Amino acid sequence: MLDPIQASLRTAVSGMDAQSVRLRIITENIANAESTGDATGLDPYQRKTVTFASEVDRLTGAQLVRVRNIGVDESPFKMELDPGNPAADERGFVKRPNVDMLVEMADMREANRSYEANLQVARQAGELMNMSVNLLKDV
Amino acid sequence: MPQLYLFALASQNAKWLHARQSLVAENVANANTPGYRAVDLKPFSTVLEKAGEALAVTSPAHFSGFGDAAAPSAPSDASDATLSGNSVSLENEMAKLGEINRNLSLNTNVQRVFHQMLMTAVK
Repeated sequence: MLDPIQASLRTAVSGMDAQSVRLRIITENIANAESTGDATGLDPYQRKTVTFASEVDRLTGAQLVRVRNIGVDESPFKMELDPGNPAADERGFVKRPNVDMLVEMADMREANRSYEANLQVARQAGELMNMSVNLLKDV
Repeated sequence: MPQLYLFALASQNAKWLHARQSLVAENVANANTPGYRAVDLKPFSTVLEKAGEALAVTSPAHFSGFGDAAAPSAPSDASDATLSGNSVSLENEMAKLGEINRNLSLNTNVQRVFHQMLMTAVK
């Protein structure tokens, strides 16, 4: 087993990894918030979701976090009257992506906050290591 | 010269703080994992009592030496869990992080000063 400080560094890094995947998925959702289909009746962009799971690190015994799966949001699409759109059906309605900007923004803030917390832990792990090493400084 | 337990005590305390730091890292990393329950160590004072280095007491009114130096951490109960069954509070973890930092800083500084004292006596 590695020493706990190195374990905490690895754990913090795994957390930052997971949060950056989450941030990537949120970005994809926001970028595609207006992506409708390009032919009559085709489905638009479907919102993606990301879930996490904890997993034991074999090297350190610490509980790391990993992305369990990237799924899709099955909620119904919004219908909008837009007869000029190439994806419009015979009545002139277009399926819009089921992305809600407000939800994505809130999710982004949360991912940001969690990433920051992990960064703080990583920074502190380095500081603690320094404290022990500095004991040797003026012997 | 009396037996000096300070270095043994200090390194035990440092080990405890390091282990706690890695638990805080686990909690923070899993702050968004569904069903994850926050974990923490027992206070250092209880660890000490088990090690038999605390003062012996014959009455509950006596001081037990290290006593309540480390406040017991609030056990994470179901009431502060979110809908996903996760009980990690980032604020709480950040507070613990500061506490660990301060305590280890104190620990290493005490060790340094104590070492200096010993060296003064030796020279």
